[in-house]
Amino acid sequence: MDNVVTLAHGAGGKQTSELIDRVFKAHFANPDLTADDAAVLEVEKGRIAFTTDGFIVSPFEFNGGNIGKLSICGTVNDLSCMGAKPEYLTCSFVIEEGFPMDKLEEIAAAMEKTAKEAGVVIAAGDTKVAGKGQVDKIFITTTGIGRIMDCAHTSGAFAKPGDAVIVTGDVGRHGCTILVARDEYGIDADVSSDCAPLWANVKAMYDVTDDIHVIRDATRGGVGTVLYEIAGQSNVGIRLDQEKIPVDDAVRGVCGMLGLEPLYLACEGRLVIFAPKEKAEDIVAALRKCKNSENAAVIGEVTSENAGRVVMTTAIGAQTLLPQPTGELLPRIC
Amino acid sequence: MCVGLSAKVVSVEEGTAVIEAGGAKRNVSADLIDDLEPGDYVMVHAGVAIAKITDDDENEAAEVMKGI
Amino acid sequence: MTEIIENAREIITGYSGRHLRIMEVCGTHTHEIFRLGIRSLLPEDVELISGPGCPVCVTPVGYIDEAVMLALEKGAVVCTFGDLIRVPGTEMSLAGARSKGADIRPVYSPLDAVDIASQERDKQVVFLAVGFETTTPSACLAVKRAKKLGLSNFSILTANKTMPNAYRALMGSADAFLYPGHVNAITGTAICEEMKELGVSGVVAGFTANELMTALAVTIEKSKTGEPFFENCYPRVVKAEGNIPAQKLMAEVMTPCDSEWRGLGVIKMSGMALREEYADFDARKKFALPAVTGRANPACRCGEVLQGKCKPSDCKVFGKVCTPEHPVGACMVSNEGACSAYYQYGGGNIIKGDN
Repeated sequence: MDNVVTLAHGAGGKQTSELIDRVFKAHFANPDLTADDAAVLEVEKGRIAFTTDGFIVSPFEFNGGNIGKLSICGTVNDLSCMGAKPEYLTCSFVIEEGFPMDKLEEIAAAMEKTAKEAGVVIAAGDTKVAGKGQVDKIFITTTGIGRIMDCAHTSGAFAKPGDAVIVTGDVGRHGCTILVARDEYGIDADVSSDCAPLWANVKAMYDVTDDIHVIRDATRGGVGTVLYEIAGQSNVGIRLDQEKIPVDDAVRGVCGMLGLEPLYLACEGRLVIFAPKEKAEDIVAALRKCKNSENAAVIGEVTSENAGRVVMTTAIGAQTLLPQPTGELLPRIC
Repeated sequence: MCVGLSAKVVSVEEGTAVIEAGGAKRNVSADLIDDLEPGDYVMVHAGVAIAKITDDDENEAAEVMKGI
Repeated sequence: MTEIIENAREIITGYSGRHLRIMEVCGTHTHEIFRLGIRSLLPEDVELISGPGCPVCVTPVGYIDEAVMLALEKGAVVCTFGDLIRVPGTEMSLAGARSKGADIRPVYSPLDAVDIASQERDKQVVFLAVGFETTTPSACLAVKRAKKLGLSNFSILTANKTMPNAYRALMGSADAFLYPGHVNAITGTAICEEMKELGVSGVVAGFTANELMTALAVTIEKSKTGEPFFENCYPRVVKAEGNIPAQKLMAEVMTPCDSEWRGLGVIKMSGMALREEYADFDARKKFALPAVTGRANPACRCGEVLQGKCKPSDCKVFGKVCTPEHPVGACMVSNEGACSAYYQYGGGNIIKGDN
């Protein structure tokens, strides 16, 4: 087989079957993976969560993962946030002509591994090849369904005054990793993406309490963006304690150099959780026992005042607004 | 007007210093500071070390407060 | 909270007496003061005014127009500090030019722009040299390095500014200045002593919570005497003589000139331009740019804001037409601009409660 993806691989003929057999079937094979036009699945009675997400990331591989791992984690985590056990995924690839075959293999292998870790089955897929320059190397879209646990009722609109705000680990690591990997600013830092599937972590929380109001994964725009979303949807205020927000040293260093705020850098393996204060300790204890949330922490609380706003208690014991994130993140000198 | 980063000098060679702040490293110009050495702390702005730092801000603040 | 901060906080919050107007000249101070929530601690008799020390804010509209012209008409790669990308020009910002296909690259240092020029010799690379005495040495180093490397495809578009004459122009706007620590790291403190002789008080301030709180406490305490004073509250970085190699470098590469400050007008000998020996690196000469007069939005009151004559919230377009997503004036663009800081942090007055 060729060592790069060609337009012929997307033309539907012999080469297409070859590509599917060698790369995708080799990694995604399972009893539910369809060879027909659609997968046929047994549906249990109950509530289903259903979501889709597109992934473009440059560079497509980075310290701690690649676009394949990312594409599984993103959709698995979106389902998990609804208290849904991720069951099935579909994945759709758009690949630029000339993309190296060994890299495609690596991406498929990462998807296989991550899907296994998350306990989710890849049931159908699609591959298109676009001409040189029409896409940036590789885009992946995954769609997933999950079964919502009977005990789970979460929504961005359910945060209440008196809730604690919990994060499952240090913030902004994925965004920082990508920034460093792009090498646009000559910065070298030992930092790796937090990209991880988090169903096990959500399940661990529900094992200690059903009383969870909001779970959201902080992706684009980071934890800061999620907090503003929730403050708006639930019409409540959020008060953060600046000194309690976990930030990796290298992330802090990179942000210091470029004048960026870690709360606005993307995460790909971090949840923000709102639950009654009385339950916070148990939830954090449960999370700390799980992989990928060993550093879970309470970072603030929900208030009835300052509705729609996020307020920080700062190092000098004063209160300030967390500025709302706007536009693209640009490094600043002033 | 000028974001500064306090950083530790890791190495110096021909007018270029490698500086480190919290695990993030970068090359910066060492042209504006005479006899910079590894282990020194500097204030960095726009890729240039602009001053050698002689103390930490806690001691400094304590000294400043003594003056009033 | 440390004991130092607690002591400083007591002095600041406990002040009552003659109304004090303290101008934080430096935009990074403005930003950090908001970020730390210092404004929410101030007693009624202390007022903080955000001065003109944000290079983006005082850069005239015409400068952006020149940069856009270089990028779009002259086809140059325009390298810039990220801060400038969204600043509105007469027709468009650099972000607007980028969406029309211009090659605009944010860089961390002017020296990175020299690297780009040396790697892409088939392209003309222009660095947008804005900034005060802190930043100007980096632009001078870039020019010298390009000259040493024999690069004929590198130039800078200067809008560098110097503070002394701006301080003189701002006399009377405030009772005391918080001097910009990183400018003083380069220039030293002679100008501050000179201002004291002219009856203008001030302190050099650093940027951490400890440094800003102690600088404010010193300012308030010393103001009680009624005598003009000057204190260096950032001695770990700022020496009386400043950074002498940097001063020599600037004098070697650049020469003072009159300069337009957005909102303040032309201030005599408050800018820096390349010396004749470095004319080959002057983008205006190299590309024979026509004299440009930008048109600022007439409703915008950035000029008065910069002089402390009005608050951002007094401006008609503030927060309505003019927001960080769609800035009208430069003070809304830069993160450290007074309007942007007021907007993002709710003017510092909204957050009350259990301080």
